[in-house]
Amino acid sequence: MVSIYVIDNGGQWTHREWRMLKYLDVNTKILPNTTSWKILNDNGVDGLVLSGGAPRIGLENKLGNCEEYLTKAEIPILGICAGHQFMSRFFGGDVKPSKIPEFGRVTLSVIDQKNPLFIDVPKESIVWESHNDEITELPNCMIHLAKSENCQYQAIMHKKEPFYGLQFHPEVNNTEYGEQIFRNFINICKNK
Amino acid sequence: MFKSSSFIQESTDQIRKAIKGKALIAFSGGVDSTVCAALVHKAIGKRLIAVHVDTGYMRKNESEHVKKLMEDMGLNYRFIDAGEEYYALLKKVIDPERKRKIIGEKFIKIFETVAEDEQIKYLVQGTIAPDWIESGGELRDVIKSHHNVGGLPKKMNLELVEPLRDLYKDEVRELARELKVSVSEKQPFPGPGLAIRILGEATKRRAEIVREACAIVEEEIEKAAAEKKMMLPWQYFAVLLPVKSVGVHGDKRAYGNVIAIRAVESLDAMSCSFSTIPNDIIDIISNRITNTLGNDINRIVYDVTNKPPGTIEWE
Repeated sequence: MVSIYVIDNGGQWTHREWRMLKYLDVNTKILPNTTSWKILNDNGVDGLVLSGGAPRIGLENKLGNCEEYLTKAEIPILGICAGHQFMSRFFGGDVKPSKIPEFGRVTLSVIDQKNPLFIDVPKESIVWESHNDEITELPNCMIHLAKSENCQYQAIMHKKEPFYGLQFHPEVNNTEYGEQIFRNFINICKNK
Repeated sequence: MFKSSSFIQESTDQIRKAIKGKALIAFSGGVDSTVCAALVHKAIGKRLIAVHVDTGYMRKNESEHVKKLMEDMGLNYRFIDAGEEYYALLKKVIDPERKRKIIGEKFIKIFETVAEDEQIKYLVQGTIAPDWIESGGELRDVIKSHHNVGGLPKKMNLELVEPLRDLYKDEVRELARELKVSVSEKQPFPGPGLAIRILGEATKRRAEIVREACAIVEEEIEKAAAEKKMMLPWQYFAVLLPVKSVGVHGDKRAYGNVIAIRAVESLDAMSCSFSTIPNDIIDIISNRITNTLGNDINRIVYDVTNKPPGTIEWE
């Protein structure tokens, strides 16, 4: 059984991420974002989800120990919302308050449908959002995977490392292909 | 997937180990507390004492039904009528967070009194995941202090037992069906009750108004769903707003309050979309409320907000 842990950055839907993984038969648990990389590595974890975060945390330079995970991990990491924003900042991008924040229903437009994270996800689908801030500058080492009308960087991926970021929330019941995206991430973790 | 039978097995074992002597369960008669009571009763039988508190903010005839439910379940129960006390405590209270904290603390005071009288050391609550998630703490923001988490006093003389903590409503319903609990399909009802369906001061009179409006919304929607005119929403109720607007009643100027109708679709309450109810049903509900409560309500609005950005309840 593959092990994917959820790193809790203080978001409302962290526990939903745990539930989603559990339902997909993954060995999972929620750990605070202050957990050391050593503990995760010693546990033989196959993947990490950096959860959504407490308000405005994406604008800060620090997100618990997420910096350590992104530096030392060779396993796949999926950053959601604050996790996605932090990932972009960490690699040299920028995050600012959204001109038009998105709450609830948004239509996602996938740019790279061949990407492993978006297998069996249609070009356009409904996703659920809850963000006040967003990535305004993508680092050179990352690729743009999806967008929406009011938010450019809805999905991103690192060119070399198996790191992915999603601005929207695949773990929320209202996101149409949320479960499929999780399945895809689990396969990415299995195939590494 | 969620496996109810293994959850029930593991849970009852854990409960038996955790509770020595008697335990008190906070019993609102909603899905969560009823399932919790069924589980704990399975584990410790008559050592469980169910306490129902009529806060004065229950729905029409609700407490009577809850009394019967406790009897039907064979529970060892106590019934406490505390309406007047709650109204007094909430006098002039406008802030929704303060309301929730006051209500939570009062519940605990009542439970502690019963526990002291009967030498009980454990308090069982049907707390589920959204309750502690939204009540915040450490990194997490307080979205709203659920009465059974954020409303708890810092020091409590009772040991807390919450077997359903990691579950969401849909999973609790599966347990309910497995345990053959009659309220499995009942719509969610908040612990603070109608107090948080009254924006502003939750007086006895305003509780009467929103109680009647909620009853009308429930009756008409349930009737329409039974007649296959619409699907039954996940949750549906009325909210009394603190605004007044102008109307006309029989050639006379009216200046009355506003009721908002709220109906949503959800799985686990952590996100929702507003329900699309047929307009003719909304018409019937609107008419019935403004005719029945004409002296107080002369305008009805329909809430078209998803979660996020709103929450299901208004407070």
